[in-house]
Amino acid sequence: MKFYRNLSISQKQVVWAWAFLALPVLFYVVIRFYPTGNAIVLSFQKWNMLGARNWVGFDNYVKLYNDPVFWKVFRNTFVYLILGTPASLVISFVIAYHLDRVRFLHSTLRALYFLPFLTSTVAMAWVWRWFYQPVPIGLFNNFIASLGFQQIAFLNSTTNALPSILLPAIWAGLGFQIIIFMAGLRAIPTSFYEAARIDGVSNWTILREITLPLLKPTIVFLVVFSSISFLRIFDQVFNMTTNNPGGPLDSTKPLVLMIYQTAFSSFDMGYAAAQTVVLFTILLTVSLLQLYLMRDR
Amino acid sequence: MATVSIQNLVKAYGKTEVLHGINLDVADGEFVVFVGPSGCGKSTTLRMIAGLEEVSGGEIVIGERVVNHLEPKDRNIAMVFQNYAIYPHMSVRKNIGFGLRTSKLPKADKEKRINEVAAILSMTDYLDRKPAQLSGGQRQRVAIGRAMVRDPAVFLFDEPLSNLDAQLRTQMRLEIKKLHQRVGTTIIFVTHDQVEAMTMADRIVIMKDGHIQQVGTPAEVFHQPANVFVAQFIGAPSMNLLDGVYSGGEIAVAGRRVAVALPLPDGAAVTVGIRPDDLRVSAEPALFEGVVNVLEPLGAETLAHIDIGGRDVIARADGRAPPPVGARVYLAADTANMHFFAPSGEALR
Repeated sequence: MKFYRNLSISQKQVVWAWAFLALPVLFYVVIRFYPTGNAIVLSFQKWNMLGARNWVGFDNYVKLYNDPVFWKVFRNTFVYLILGTPASLVISFVIAYHLDRVRFLHSTLRALYFLPFLTSTVAMAWVWRWFYQPVPIGLFNNFIASLGFQQIAFLNSTTNALPSILLPAIWAGLGFQIIIFMAGLRAIPTSFYEAARIDGVSNWTILREITLPLLKPTIVFLVVFSSISFLRIFDQVFNMTTNNPGGPLDSTKPLVLMIYQTAFSSFDMGYAAAQTVVLFTILLTVSLLQLYLMRDR
Repeated sequence: MATVSIQNLVKAYGKTEVLHGINLDVADGEFVVFVGPSGCGKSTTLRMIAGLEEVSGGEIVIGERVVNHLEPKDRNIAMVFQNYAIYPHMSVRKNIGFGLRTSKLPKADKEKRINEVAAILSMTDYLDRKPAQLSGGQRQRVAIGRAMVRDPAVFLFDEPLSNLDAQLRTQMRLEIKKLHQRVGTTIIFVTHDQVEAMTMADRIVIMKDGHIQQVGTPAEVFHQPANVFVAQFIGAPSMNLLDGVYSGGEIAVAGRRVAVALPLPDGAAVTVGIRPDDLRVSAEPALFEGVVNVLEPLGAETLAHIDIGGRDVIARADGRAPPPVGARVYLAADTANMHFFAPSGEALR
């Protein structure tokens, strides 16, 4: 106790800060950092979850490089990212921008847009899966057929399946992005718009030169946030293609699903760890790159 | 350059009327200040002139045109906002130039115009800075620059100095006044600060609860206030008000009698107003007698709060030798400097 009493005020503050931080720090070390480190080590080993862990050097990475499924999956993951992030951002911004001006039923509309975000992904995926079924079950195909058009093979086609899964994934994330965009829009002082109105510039100029630049912090956050979620896409794909996860012919399989299958179907933990390390590197690179590109100059 | 005329201007939000039909004519090149407590409708009036608020009734005429239904940009006005409304992501040059975005001037002329305005506001060296790198006063100048660059017929200022510290406010006040003398454009300026109003205005418009209380030059509103509200609002510290009763050419007030001829019947209640400056602390027996309660030294002078028969009044005393607290003093005042108000608040003359 005497030791504590002799500390200066700022030293005491440090002691208290660490006392409160100890638990989360411990939690992060045990639950996050240790497994991360372990996974990196594991990626250089061979292990089936039961036997001994044997060092195999770069074998897992070489195998990954020569695995055609990995490259297919790699491509799919980036398609989810490259289509999903801009599409979800543009759609959510357009909705938020207009919703911000609506007074009538404002809260109700906002709640409706937010609802999918609260819904279980599994339930949502199964409902959409039902929408996509052929006649006489699927909602969409029944409608298309009733108009006299040819049915569309949504989930059974190697070209249509990925966009069909991406669509509900975008939709599910919209609510959150809309709320964040609206908070960003609200933070812009109204006098900025009034001054622009007096200067007589067009709505388009106001949007391009005032609203969007001032929303930049919001946009940076959402781009990073949404990119990470699209790079980690799993539940939608797994649930909408359950009889052949990632199918047809791996055309919808993202990296996380491949990791899951390698680890928990093939029990090739070392190989799965190598894939995880690749995903980790991609996530890190993409996030840092975006932060760099969108930094304040 | 233009006149502004407001006729029976009404503003209502739903069923709540906040501006009850005001009338005002602003001459070409005049500097008019709207002053009043918050919620009096001064900013609303200004925003209606700017076109940022719908007109519920009456007419606004700028120059020769009724502008009620014109977009802000078509009214040939420029406005400076309380929070400056300068864009943080644009340089000073771009901010000032933003007002010229829609103008059809060639690019070189726009540049020239921006440079001219920057020179007038002594901001030439700061043209390539971002607002975050400027002081409060400089930001205010950028906001004024953006308004000036368009060369409008009327400048509208919405409490532009209230975000500045006291010293800077005094300085900017002077600069805006000089600017007006130099460019001569009609200015309508809104403030809640009566000192700002007094120091800057050609004419002051005092508002309360959506009504104009008085329109006049600073001297007029100070020396001939139209009612109790104006008398108390203009001048610091506020005018002392004492209740009295009129009878036979005299007012009985605070146990004394003041001889004055007022158009009132005998026995009528009357409020006597005396500015602290007109109430001198004196050692010789004078009009009122009282006890010093509190002293507020201001350097050159001292404000003495004096209890005269249960009423606290403020008088100006000498700064070097004020009477001590608790002392019995006399207060002298000239009847010519007194103001008399009927119970309704209207001034009696």
